Amino acid sequence: MINLELVFSEIFLSLSIMALLLIGVYKKNSTNMIYNLSVVSLLIMLILNLNLFNSKDVTLFGNGYKIDFMSSFMKFLITISGIFVMLSSSKYLKVTKIFKIEYPILLLSSILGMLIMISSNDLIVFYMGLELQSLALYVLASFDRNNKLSSESGLKYFVLSALSSGLLLYGCSLIYGFAGSTNFDEISANIDQVQYGLTLGIVFILVGLAFKISAVPFHMWAPDVYEGSPTSVTIFFAILPKIAALTVLIRFLYVPFINLIEQWQVIIIFLSIASMIFGAVAAIGQKNLKRLMAYSSISHMGFALAGLSVGSNEGIQSSITYVSIYLFMNLAFFSCLFMLRKEEKYFENIDDLSGLSKNHPMLSLSLLIVLFSLAGIPPLAGFFAKFYIFLAVIEKEMYFLAIIGLLSTVVAAFYYLRIIKTIYFDDAKHKYDLNHNLGLKLSLTFSTIIILIYFIYPSYLLEIVSKITIL
Amino acid sequence: MIIQSIFFYIFSFIAIVSAIMVTVSRNTVHSVFFLILDFVSISCLFIMGGAEFLGMIMLIVYVGAVAVLFLFVVMMLNVAQQENEWFQSKKNSATSSSHIPIGFLISAIIFFELVIVIGGWKLKPEIETFNNISLNLGITNTHSIGAVLYTDYIHLFQISGMILLVSMIGAIVLTYRKRSGLKRQSYIKQISRERAGGIELIDVEKNKGVNIDV
Repeated sequence: MINLELVFSEIFLSLSIMALLLIGVYKKNSTNMIYNLSVVSLLIMLILNLNLFNSKDVTLFGNGYKIDFMSSFMKFLITISGIFVMLSSSKYLKVTKIFKIEYPILLLSSILGMLIMISSNDLIVFYMGLELQSLALYVLASFDRNNKLSSESGLKYFVLSALSSGLLLYGCSLIYGFAGSTNFDEISANIDQVQYGLTLGIVFILVGLAFKISAVPFHMWAPDVYEGSPTSVTIFFAILPKIAALTVLIRFLYVPFINLIEQWQVIIIFLSIASMIFGAVAAIGQKNLKRLMAYSSISHMGFALAGLSVGSNEGIQSSITYVSIYLFMNLAFFSCLFMLRKEEKYFENIDDLSGLSKNHPMLSLSLLIVLFSLAGIPPLAGFFAKFYIFLAVIEKEMYFLAIIGLLSTVVAAFYYLRIIKTIYFDDAKHKYDLNHNLGLKLSLTFSTIIILIYFIYPSYLLEIVSKITIL
Repeated sequence: MIIQSIFFYIFSFIAIVSAIMVTVSRNTVHSVFFLILDFVSISCLFIMGGAEFLGMIMLIVYVGAVAVLFLFVVMMLNVAQQENEWFQSKKNSATSSSHIPIGFLISAIIFFELVIVIGGWKLKPEIETFNNISLNLGITNTHSIGAVLYTDYIHLFQISGMILLVSMIGAIVLTYRKRSGLKRQSYIKQISRERAGGIELIDVEKNKGVNIDV
């Protein structure tokens, strides 16, 4: 009862989900109000969460729920990206006629699941959070149910995700059987030597988590789901579940199984190399921007995994820095995508960008910044993100991983630069509408400025992240 | 002791036979009947073993919800109907359905099973012998599950509530469609209706009739 204020943000979020649902059911035509109120409740949650930054490491609920600096920081990232995702996508929802009361409520429940995942210190809590998050995501992917592509993507995501959840549960049961507990701390206390059952369990759980962050070879769902689901859901898919799954991955690998690092390090390195190469090569032939972003996010997750595979605090910190910057790059890119609207229709192919600079110089400029940053060109934020990863990898003398990463960056730069060429050197094609809502403008400006001016004072983020020490 | 093993073998025999019948039976409706019988027999075994909570949950969830749902689906999809016609054309009995005798047989067995097992559980609870696990026998295992579920695992219990809420919202979002032209009953309209607005006196001319759909 004394520590209840540590979970205020989760309690507040669940209460606001139920309250908003009741308001939406009983009040007619209240979609706009519900949407704005859910943004407000996320803002309140952000403030509640800020209080936690100074608290000590505490475990709650029978050691199943951990509040430490990492969980507070990741919850902060999740909440802030949730706010910007909601701000930027309201116009899109109205135009595509999927602006219903259930949409913000499902978004909030998915965010609640992610908060639970981030704080989980127990296999059962982690699984419950994961299910809460993915159940809402299945529905969101097929939210535009009159659109065949959207329904298809929802079904595909549901079937494949259920399969990966099954594998993950099997891994959990193996670990419970061999370590005698589901609690992370107790598992780490009970492990004294390498047992093949435990390794098998780790492998199964890694398969499930790699599916959630769409790392190769468990990426097959990502391009179709990204392309098929509404763009407002795609931006959500591209950012939030990855942050949550990466946090769980860090906690899962580094708290109970740090002594078995020889067992899982090879797997993570393989996932990382495969994702970096595949994401870079497969994106070359893409024509749809959403599909291209799916491959791009696969490649970016490969870099984040490279930081994880190092097995040191610096590696974890570089990974977390990477996802924090990745968040803003994706936010800016998808905000640009939301601006490609003409006569109540959204455009999402690379051809539609041709000659954008002639009619929309500011939009083209921000796309230029974002794409350069995604390609990792200095002095933009994306360069620093990759730089920290390489630093951590080279410090542990894993040169092979660093070389592969550099090569895949070069390959990936090709398709980012090709988009820039289309924007600046091709003939003008469309003249898009200019009446965008304030939230969209705000999120694009905010994220672009962060990407642009990150190099002025890069140690600000580094100082915060350097407080995250797991080992 | 001997009574207990007799009942144990009876229930397990019924469970195994009905499980075989589920797959062997050519009529899908009969298969579902046997599935229900199988579930009931297994839950009787659970109750005999002292796990009365598990047995009751099995009855409620599997027999009460899942199997009846199966039965509905099978009957709605008309799978059984075709099979049935095929059987009937051989036997030349066009009217009588072959579902009814099997249904009666299985429900009679289920009834006797329940009478035996719940009667035994209520009258002679000491008959159960699986006592090698250290349990507090003073309280039933429903009590002990509740004691753990609502204290140590309360947060998981609450989270599962949220998961159920989300799945309910999701199912409604994906399937609910507003149909236009649907006439709904409105009590207020019906009650506030007056004689003057509803009845009209018309002088009918000879051989002309009245046009009523105005």
